[in-house]
Amino acid sequence: MTTTAPQGTLRQRSVAGSKKPKDGASSDVELDKLVKAANKAPKAVSERDHKAAFTLITILAFVTRFWGISHPNEVVFDEVHFGKFASYYLEKTYFFDVHPPFGKLLFAFVGWLVGFDGHFHFENIGDSYIANKVPYVAFRSLPALLGALTVSVVYLIMWESGYSLPACILAAGLVLLDNAHIGQTRLILLDATLVFAMACSLLCYIKFYKLRHEPFSRKWWKWLILTGFALSCDISTKYVGLFAFITIGSAVVIDLWELLDIKRPGGALTLPQFGKHFAARAFGLIILPFLFYLFWFQVHFTILTRSGPGDDFMTPEFQETLSDNIMLSNAITIDYYDTISIKHKETKAYLHSHPERYPLRYDDGRVSSQGQQVTGYPFNDTNNYWQILPAGADDKQLDRHIKNHDLIRLRHIVTNTILLSHDVASPYFPTNQEFTTVSLADAYGDRAADTLFEVRIEHGKPNQEWKTISGHFKLIHNPSKVAMWTHTKPLPEWGFKQQEINGNKQIAPSSNVWLVEDISSLPADHPRRAKKEKKVKTLPFLRKWFELQRSMFWHNNQLTASHPYASLPYSWPFLLRGVSFWTQNDTRQQIYFLGNPIGWWIASSVLAIFAGIILADQFSLRRGMDALDHRSRSRLYNSTGFFFLAWATHYFPFYVMGRQLFLHHYLPAHLASALVTGALVEFIFSQDAVEHEVAYQAAKAGKKSQTPKHHLTARERFAGQSLFGSWVATGVILTLVAAGWYFFLPLTYGYPGLTVEQVVRRKWLGYDLHFAK
Amino acid sequence: MAPSAAAKAASGRVSPPLPPNPAPTQPIQSSVSTSSKNKSKGAAKRINDYTSEGVQDNDVFLLPGSDYQLLLGITFLAAAVRLFRIYQPTSVVFDEVHFGGFATKYIKGKFFMDVHPPLAKLMITLFGYLAGFDGNFDFKEIGKDYLEPGVPYVAMRLFPAICGILLAPTMFLTLKAAGCRTSTAAMGAGLIIFENGLLTQARLILLDSPLMITTAFTALAFTSFTNQQELGPSRAFSPSWWFWLVMTGLGLGMTVSIKWVGLFTIAWVGGLTLVQLWVLWGDYKNVTIRTFSKHFLARAFCLIVIPLTFYMAMFGIHFLCLVNPGEGDGFMSSEFQSTLNSKGMQDVPADVLMGSKVSIRHVNTQGGYLHSHPLMYPTGSKQQQITLYPHKDDNNLWFLENQTQPLGADGLPINGTSAWNNLEETPYIKNGAIIRIYHVPTHRRLHSHDVRPPVTEAEWQNEVSAYGYEGFDGDANDFFRVEIVKKKSKSGVAQERLRTIDTKFRLVHVMTGCVLFSHKVKLPAWASEQQEVTCARGGTLPNSLWYIESNEHAKLGPDAEKVNYANPGFLGKFWELQKVMWKTNAGLVESHAWDSRPDSWPILRRGINFWGKDHRQIYLIGNPIVWWSATAAVFVYVLFKGIAVLRWQRSFNDYADPVFKRFDYEIGTSVLGWALHYFPFYLMQRQLFLHHYFPALYFSVIAFCQVYDFVVARISALGLKKNPLIGKTGALLFLVISIAAFTLLSPLAYGNTWTKAECKRVKLFNTWDWDCNTFLDSYDAYDQLAKSPAAASPTSTSKPSVNVQAPPPAENPVAAGEQAKAPAVEQPKEEVSGAPAVDDQRVVHTEERVEYRDQDGNLLDIEQVKALEGKVEFKTRYETRTRVIDAAGNEVFVGAEEGSPVPVAPPHPDVEGVDRETPKSLIPDESIPAAEKSVEGEKEAEEKAPKPASESKEKTAKEEL
Repeated sequence: MTTTAPQGTLRQRSVAGSKKPKDGASSDVELDKLVKAANKAPKAVSERDHKAAFTLITILAFVTRFWGISHPNEVVFDEVHFGKFASYYLEKTYFFDVHPPFGKLLFAFVGWLVGFDGHFHFENIGDSYIANKVPYVAFRSLPALLGALTVSVVYLIMWESGYSLPACILAAGLVLLDNAHIGQTRLILLDATLVFAMACSLLCYIKFYKLRHEPFSRKWWKWLILTGFALSCDISTKYVGLFAFITIGSAVVIDLWELLDIKRPGGALTLPQFGKHFAARAFGLIILPFLFYLFWFQVHFTILTRSGPGDDFMTPEFQETLSDNIMLSNAITIDYYDTISIKHKETKAYLHSHPERYPLRYDDGRVSSQGQQVTGYPFNDTNNYWQILPAGADDKQLDRHIKNHDLIRLRHIVTNTILLSHDVASPYFPTNQEFTTVSLADAYGDRAADTLFEVRIEHGKPNQEWKTISGHFKLIHNPSKVAMWTHTKPLPEWGFKQQEINGNKQIAPSSNVWLVEDISSLPADHPRRAKKEKKVKTLPFLRKWFELQRSMFWHNNQLTASHPYASLPYSWPFLLRGVSFWTQNDTRQQIYFLGNPIGWWIASSVLAIFAGIILADQFSLRRGMDALDHRSRSRLYNSTGFFFLAWATHYFPFYVMGRQLFLHHYLPAHLASALVTGALVEFIFSQDAVEHEVAYQAAKAGKKSQTPKHHLTARERFAGQSLFGSWVATGVILTLVAAGWYFFLPLTYGYPGLTVEQVVRRKWLGYDLHFAK
Repeated sequence: MAPSAAAKAASGRVSPPLPPNPAPTQPIQSSVSTSSKNKSKGAAKRINDYTSEGVQDNDVFLLPGSDYQLLLGITFLAAAVRLFRIYQPTSVVFDEVHFGGFATKYIKGKFFMDVHPPLAKLMITLFGYLAGFDGNFDFKEIGKDYLEPGVPYVAMRLFPAICGILLAPTMFLTLKAAGCRTSTAAMGAGLIIFENGLLTQARLILLDSPLMITTAFTALAFTSFTNQQELGPSRAFSPSWWFWLVMTGLGLGMTVSIKWVGLFTIAWVGGLTLVQLWVLWGDYKNVTIRTFSKHFLARAFCLIVIPLTFYMAMFGIHFLCLVNPGEGDGFMSSEFQSTLNSKGMQDVPADVLMGSKVSIRHVNTQGGYLHSHPLMYPTGSKQQQITLYPHKDDNNLWFLENQTQPLGADGLPINGTSAWNNLEETPYIKNGAIIRIYHVPTHRRLHSHDVRPPVTEAEWQNEVSAYGYEGFDGDANDFFRVEIVKKKSKSGVAQERLRTIDTKFRLVHVMTGCVLFSHKVKLPAWASEQQEVTCARGGTLPNSLWYIESNEHAKLGPDAEKVNYANPGFLGKFWELQKVMWKTNAGLVESHAWDSRPDSWPILRRGINFWGKDHRQIYLIGNPIVWWSATAAVFVYVLFKGIAVLRWQRSFNDYADPVFKRFDYEIGTSVLGWALHYFPFYLMQRQLFLHHYFPALYFSVIAFCQVYDFVVARISALGLKKNPLIGKTGALLFLVISIAAFTLLSPLAYGNTWTKAECKRVKLFNTWDWDCNTFLDSYDAYDQLAKSPAAASPTSTSKPSVNVQAPPPAENPVAAGEQAKAPAVEQPKEEVSGAPAVDDQRVVHTEERVEYRDQDGNLLDIEQVKALEGKVEFKTRYETRTRVIDAAGNEVFVGAEEGSPVPVAPPHPDVEGVDRETPKSLIPDESIPAAEKSVEGEKEAEEKAPKPASESKEKTAKEEL
């Protein structure tokens, strides 16, 4: 801790008259050693204080997180999702989720440790754990453990950064007594893992940065790799972990930028040396985390070997790698003269026809062919049956399989007509072709060409056989090359609000894909339905990963549905609204996810103060007025600025995210704001000892003075000054925060139930609490 | 910001050393800052204030005469190119649908809502008006003919064309002001003239061309101002300095009054202004705080106050023009609407009394008045419907009755609704009064009970119905308590008792405690899609608020105290409109067949199909030579900047060279303009089009010309500087290549004749998706086509090729007898007041019939009527109802349930009963929703409606940025 404060690399490029000794770096190190030795005694005392405070805070963290963890004994909020996923892991059934697997694997691991078999699927909020015999306390212990350790890590971050005892206690206390952190980490949710990993990555990076005078040493590598690992855990839990990469990445870029500076205090680096620095960081912070990230997916695929609810999200090839998958077992090869029902993959509507005809004239004045309607219809019905006829002469030759790219005709069984498409605009799309049917005579007479359709199997090989269910295909009208397509906008009354079927000129889109659901002409006991024992196929890992990754991103972008408790980023720092997690009418208990308003408001205002101080400093500097001493400024910009950067990078990106957002997305940013608060309170309430500044100025002026020119450590700095102001501020703030914490405690722990009056008293900003009446 | 002592002292781990932003003032800074050690500063400086090194006075008013001659030539050339065949095509093209349509609305004064500010639309209207356009053409669809109705469309197109013409000389002057050689400036103007995309936009009634000229004008003004500013303190506050600053402000005001993308221009000017101020702030030896304040206030006034005033003035004119109600009303509040002619109303008596005949209006939605009509709910209690109905109608009238009838002089209750008319004391309705609400036309009372409403079947919602018959005493479920919401009501007496308009109140159902409530949920067709009214427990306050709009009482004579809507005033209307525009703009997310994402713009991946008819086509595509070289210039600069910054960090002294520094700053300014007009689009979720790139393109063309100018005329190291002829020849050569590319693609811009073969030859990429098959094989074919106009067939892909039965002549009168053909639909339809009229309907036939009904509205047949004759009293009421018949003579169903034929298959479940805009699951009004899992990680969101991927010619959604 004591070697160097962050200001070590401060460049004095623009400082008048600053002349660095040529051997600046080496003397630095030696002086540091001297100082270390000199400070042995006071250091021990201070170290002991820190240790005591650290232990106390850690104990308190465990108490606050674990107290009453078994309550409520029902499924709460998103435990629905993450509990369910743990069960799927334990049952090894394949599922699909937009989050990477790490956090969920941890839960599965806990479930496995306590011998849970995954029989309970966490279907609804309020399902009883007791009745279903779920070891939910074990599950919840994991986030509680991580949540408690998060507080300790916050303390360590402040300690490592060289802040005074009250500053450390204040920052850790803000997280310790925060209802949002507590509430989120007592339930089976991913955020505890996320926040813990984020805090660890900050801590590791600070440790790494402090070793910058010993580059490429064993310890240097250790902390670099640990930073990478923490980052990897962060992003492997949720994709918002990317923000931690931005935080650390920005700091690394700045660090590299300084290394590039030819006038850096440690002496110029040659470009190869710089390249080595760059490569090491790229390896430790990008390549290694990515490999870890892939590793969790490998574990994910290894565990999930059985078919499950996630099958539908994957391609048939992927699904065939899962055991007892429906694709594997139920696919039947389709023959000519089979009667089939054809289903649209996206809208789940069947290709349907009925004797009614298209109206002559549509509302917009266009005319139709007045042919028989062909529509999409979501229910099973005999009007969905189509018989496949070969393109050539109707030779009644049975038992011929249909291959990819074969030309077929489709006969509508009930009306005995043949499917046709032609160059007439469809009801809704002037650009798309109408689909209709014609009589057999026409179909084999002058309209023969227009009734021919090509079966084009998705990702199919030539001569591949067409199968039910697994054989996703596009039906391409042969003469005009349009693909059969449908969409959800219903037809008007004349079409009975069924779906429009039309010919789409763009063949590529996946919305043109159909599948054969069943061969209805085949009796249930027909030998062709006999299931053959089929081997589970395998796919290369990277291919599976890539497919899943693409699917995850695509679905993540689709998460725009509204949720009654979703909120917008601007409301978070002010804590305008919480989220109702769970309610119980009988006991009037509720869990309402909400931060500690006092803590949040203090932290948020401190952020504003920090920004104000920086701005004011820049403006006055620009006018040639220097209000701050060199050491405070360096600390303010480097250390506190780093925390502020962490806050900003964990907060502002949410503004450009289109998906639904919740208050808990602010938790990592709140942690960073607590760090800023601790740091800034120390800045405001402690006065730097003046003599250091004098010495510094003297050194700057080029006089080789008696005072050893070295970088003062935190303990040195605090040696001569009173921490009284800091202590008072810390005391006052923490008392207020503790009061706020206690006041909102029943909403966080879901216990005890509150009377109407008590609920109303807690509706501070009109929080939409239950049972207020 | 140049490296300063401050930044350095502070720079550490987290505050990066600020790279040497090419502020014009670096040399000065080094001399004024505390340090002389800034490594980027080399040679000794003699300038000791904020004057930039290497800057000359480029005042565009002081150019040599030959430049002005050239300028004139450029303008004529631009006019020739822009105005060539401007009359073609003779029909509506692309978004002329909207902007032409707005012109008609301005002329007619009908209020409309559009997401664009009004300036350009007003100018288009002005041109049309001056040319004698009377507003009797509706620009309804692409391809609609102009000639036959005699629309002065050429005059209207002339306005964008003039803007487009002026763009070329503006480019010339801007480049001159930036210090470029005349030959370079002429090349820049040439590139603008021969840019197919700009040309296409400038020949049609669209907003982009006016937007371009104002953006360009702003760029010119600000470039000139920057030039003055950089010349140092001697020029500060000189007339020229002031002139250009004011012009910049005016330019910004005009730009943002055309489209909100003008905000990007404001960001560009604002950003650079902040840099200038930062420079001034740092020059503390020369710029005193007093001078600085003067600088600051001058800029604040010119760049904030002037644009804002201009912008608001435009809206002032907008409101002056639009005085009549129109399609846009529904977006606005009732106060706003009351300022429109005929929507305004007479003053109404202020005090609401027991026995008042009132109409009750919902506050939060624009759903309208509390309404009932003699139709029953098909669900729930099957009692009479209560809805919200937006138009004035007798079915909106209610009597407010006390819960008990008043006692007469004889101590007996006076019955009837007029009982309160002759009382001695004035029966005010005070806060907390319990009243019954009597529907005047149907003689039923507002009623609620524990039955779920038809659409919002939530547990916390109760149905509201009208119940009873004339003379019925009512039951306890008819009682509502008036709760005045003081916060929302006008202070004073309106908070104590019910007053028209001023009092906002809730109606609490006494028996169940629920509150009369409405929300943006439409009832199905059986109630003409009017808005649902329910009684909600825990509904949000805004949706539970009501007020009284019309009020009538026998006791309130003509001399009673009257009130009316508060006039929102200009500011109120202005602000409300801004909010609505913003909301509508953000809601434009539907995909469009021709939209594109920003990443495809700089490479000119795809264009927009504007129009196609008679084997001709207009397709918006840029001149690839211009686009790609402009994009390349941006890349060159970015590359240069990257290397320069790295070299700076390694202490190379590049910035000592004034040419190097000017290159960095001048081109950096243009590239910043490009970036600010380009990257923000990435954040927009709404539909975007290629033409959104034009402002960015303009800046990148400037950058390209500047790079060219530096290479041939300013960087001595390259040696070209000595040989001015090379530069001039190069510029000419490049211009010739661009003109060639322009000519090849020009048929698409002008909508000229073309041949298939030529079309295919220039279609370099498949993503340039204009349709070559539209064109004929040879030009001769066009001549023949012109000779036999009848043979011209539409080229749209919807051409029916099968033998289609000719539609029956629409004028066919539908004889009464013909209706017997559809006996299934012959059932008399219930009247729904104000059923929205279906477009394009004509009355083909009227018929009359007498029906008998009982007090519940049930239809009685002849026998029943006979049986009742003499026993009961018959009352006569006239009703008009409309039966809608389509061209084939079939009745179109408007809300009749029984009439529908039995479907072959059950109706689609996803569709029936659920209006897309008002899905059942919508619960935005529940104040405290239950805990609900979030959708993270689940497949809730997997559904995504497939979109047609095939091409279609569509106009853009009505409101586009």
